[in-house]
Amino acid sequence: MIAGTPFDGVSPAVDREGEVVITTRDLSRSFDDRVAVDALDLDVHAGEVLALLGPNGAGKTTTVRLLNGVLAPDRGETRVFGMDPNTDGIEVRRRTGVLTETAGLDGRLTARENLEFTARMRGLSKAESRRRVDLQLDRFEMHDMAEYRTAGFSTGQRKRLAMARALLHDPEILFLDEPTSGLDPAATRDVTDLIGSLAREHGRTVLLATHFLGEAGRIADRMAVLDHGRLRAIGRPDDLAAELWNGVPADIDLGGPATSEAIAIVASVEGVMRQEARATGLTISVRDRTTMARVLTALTSTGHAVYGASMRRASMEDVYFALEDSPMESFEQVAR
Amino acid sequence: MTLAQTPRNHQVFGIDWPVVRAVVARDLRAIRRSKAVIIPMLLVPFLLLVVLPLLVGIAARRASSPTSTISFLDSLPAALAGPIASLPPDEQLLTLVLGYLLAPLFLIVPLMVSAVLAADAFAGEKERHTMETLLHLPIADRDLFIAKFLTGFLPAVAISWIGFTAFAVVANAVSWGIVDGLIVPNGLWLVVIFWVAPAVATLGLGIMVRVSARSRTTQEANQLGGAVILPLIFLAVGQATGLLLVDLAVAFAAGAAVWMVALFLVWRGASKFTRDRIAGNA
Repeated sequence: MIAGTPFDGVSPAVDREGEVVITTRDLSRSFDDRVAVDALDLDVHAGEVLALLGPNGAGKTTTVRLLNGVLAPDRGETRVFGMDPNTDGIEVRRRTGVLTETAGLDGRLTARENLEFTARMRGLSKAESRRRVDLQLDRFEMHDMAEYRTAGFSTGQRKRLAMARALLHDPEILFLDEPTSGLDPAATRDVTDLIGSLAREHGRTVLLATHFLGEAGRIADRMAVLDHGRLRAIGRPDDLAAELWNGVPADIDLGGPATSEAIAIVASVEGVMRQEARATGLTISVRDRTTMARVLTALTSTGHAVYGASMRRASMEDVYFALEDSPMESFEQVAR
Repeated sequence: MTLAQTPRNHQVFGIDWPVVRAVVARDLRAIRRSKAVIIPMLLVPFLLLVVLPLLVGIAARRASSPTSTISFLDSLPAALAGPIASLPPDEQLLTLVLGYLLAPLFLIVPLMVSAVLAADAFAGEKERHTMETLLHLPIADRDLFIAKFLTGFLPAVAISWIGFTAFAVVANAVSWGIVDGLIVPNGLWLVVIFWVAPAVATLGLGIMVRVSARSRTTQEANQLGGAVILPLIFLAVGQATGLLLVDLAVAFAAGAAVWMVALFLVWRGASKFTRDRIAGNA
């Protein structure tokens, strides 16, 4: 459980709610022949949680590195607080906090030493460093581990410590790269709760790079779906689901995986837009309720037992996989 | 204004020294706790500067063949051989071995220590995945390079000088009663210690910075960088055969040449040490 405020009475950093604090235009970066980020246009508003969603290799980490001035773009431009991270990198990094995908702790140093090093690098005095480190260790309930070397820490403990480190200096923007990977469910919930409160209660802007749909859908104000470095779609989770999911998803319980014959029968029904075998049957997308009725009739009339059927709202998972399966052009309008 | 926005003004010559000091202090603290780094870093100087001169000194004390020393001295430059030849015969061998022949071997110490530390400071950061975290901190590329350079340079020079002090104690103790006065420090050793050794440490760093940029692990960097020791082995062999024994002026000039090459390599390494290259290669 992560308790209390991480900001020790310092007033919330952002009184510019809604102002655009991160802008990218045509931002692109390649490594040798591989395009990592491709013509990315993005606006991030103060106090919002924006999830960069995509599979491994989608360009999420490269985007974070570009925004924080760690990498230089091949093309395009970026502004963070109106500054170019490529030329004003130190100033930008002074106002941002980063949780990298691997916790990046030196295992030969203790938890306290790892945090104090970062505090000193952030320009805090020795006394202030110690005070803030104590505060964060308390907050993340790691005080009893403060004097242990981090080499022996579990993944969860390392993540928590890295999170404490990212918050040491009250950053206005937080870049969180896969913050919950390797965490157990309870720790995941604590971290996602914390991220939510950072934005809602403390006005921090959070850029969350993740491939976990549930996490993104639960805490993000908006989601940007990246694929092979390109922005496939951006918007509020509900809006994305409504705009991108063509049709109504439905699950059909056949008491086991659908046979190829059953899939072919469903596919032949007019109004069926997608069909996919699942462990207990089929997930399909239909144009309307009438189509659903025709599907059920077609299955039962050919001797297939139907144990249940339900129609539901499109989830972010539906949207995500639809994006993965679909040509880029279909979504460019939404992305703009 | 939040804490993150607080301006800082600690720069001298455009370098943020508190930040540089923080990196150096962290690296040295971590190195002190790393057996894989600290053991070779201390063991090799101990063997070269304590055990070897002790054994060689004892053997030289027992040697009863001043004629071979005299014939060896005949092959040396006159400026170098003269002072040794003017010594009493029983002092000549000890003075030659401890005062001159071991000098190039001593240079292995700054070279090896700087190479080991540079591999840990550059390739090691990548291996431990701590480099990424460092790159996201508000430190300039140049300041980070200076910090990493000092992490290798300062201990290399310190260990060399402490090692030389130990060597001087052993060399003078083992020749006690035979040699009248102190064998070391002599002029050649002083040039080696204060002029050539820092240059060699810088050379090791310059090479290892380049090697580490291409390596993903400390082991890989050490293997690639291990070749830097070879020229010194040749130098030691040359010294033992009398081919490379030099007088003070030549030693000083050789040191200057090493400095030039070393500083060129460091300058090249610094110019290529950018976040973009490091992160792109991570």
